[in-house]
Amino acid sequence: MFDRVGEVVSVVLGALALGYLIYEIDRRKRKLRDLFYVLDSEDADISAELMDMVDRGELQPYSRGGRA
Amino acid sequence: MAKVTPGLGPPRRTVAGRGGGRKNAASPATDTLARPSDSRDEVVTALSTGVRGSRAAGSVSQDQPAIEEGKVIELPVRTRPRKFKASGPPRFRIFIIDSGWNSVARRVLRHNFALVHRLHKEDPIYLLSRKKSRDFIQRHRSLIGRDPIIAVHDLEAIQQDGNAGFHGFRLHLGILRTPRQALTALQAFARFLRMHRQSPSLEADIRSELRREGILGTVEILLHKVPRVIGG
Repeated sequence: MFDRVGEVVSVVLGALALGYLIYEIDRRKRKLRDLFYVLDSEDADISAELMDMVDRGELQPYSRGGRA
Repeated sequence: MAKVTPGLGPPRRTVAGRGGGRKNAASPATDTLARPSDSRDEVVTALSTGVRGSRAAGSVSQDQPAIEEGKVIELPVRTRPRKFKASGPPRFRIFIIDSGWNSVARRVLRHNFALVHRLHKEDPIYLLSRKKSRDFIQRHRSLIGRDPIIAVHDLEAIQQDGNAGFHGFRLHLGILRTPRQALTALQAFARFLRMHRQSPSLEADIRSELRREGILGTVEILLHKVPRVIGG
């Protein structure tokens, strides 16, 4: 009986450890995805507005002492 | 006879091997530069040789035979090493959006901005003022709390497909909580842009190197190849 309990406990602990590992990897990957955010079609409007600001002359390239 | 260049003052006797002479003498570096063959070259070359010889000997000597007293030597203009020049058209457009949160990321970016700018001279950097940034973020509320944001537009991708597909990436520094995290992310960003300026597939590089996607990325995260301060 104790053997079975021991086995069950080992399996549960192993599953928890594996689950934690998967969770930790997923958390780090989510953080990296959020940190380095890839621009695609969903962000087209944001990017378009920035490009329009450049084309209209509202934004100028930075030079020492300059800011838009 | 070497001509006297106006403005140089009276002809001076150059003394090889002395500190003062060192100012007047052509530095050893100049004799490696290409110059048109000229009688002056022999004098300057001899002068340089004399300087080097005396330096090697470690002693000051007046017995260097190379220089005639009273002879005016017009030293060639020392050609400065060329500063790095932009190679070709810019690949990226970089935007910095900062509405003014009093955050560690903002301080790190301000302290290191000059260096980032120097590392990416080929690409124009557009700094949005605080007011412009605030107005911009008000119109795009998903960006609230993520600034300071460094948005990079890939001009090559935009030329090919416009904004419909991949066209760049953003660095959301505002989500980082410690100065070390912010600095590490900024360094990774600067290094990545520098190394992948000519990349034919920037999106793939971002996903593999920055975001560590895929099985290989998972292994790298497990093996702590991603700095824990970024992914942790």
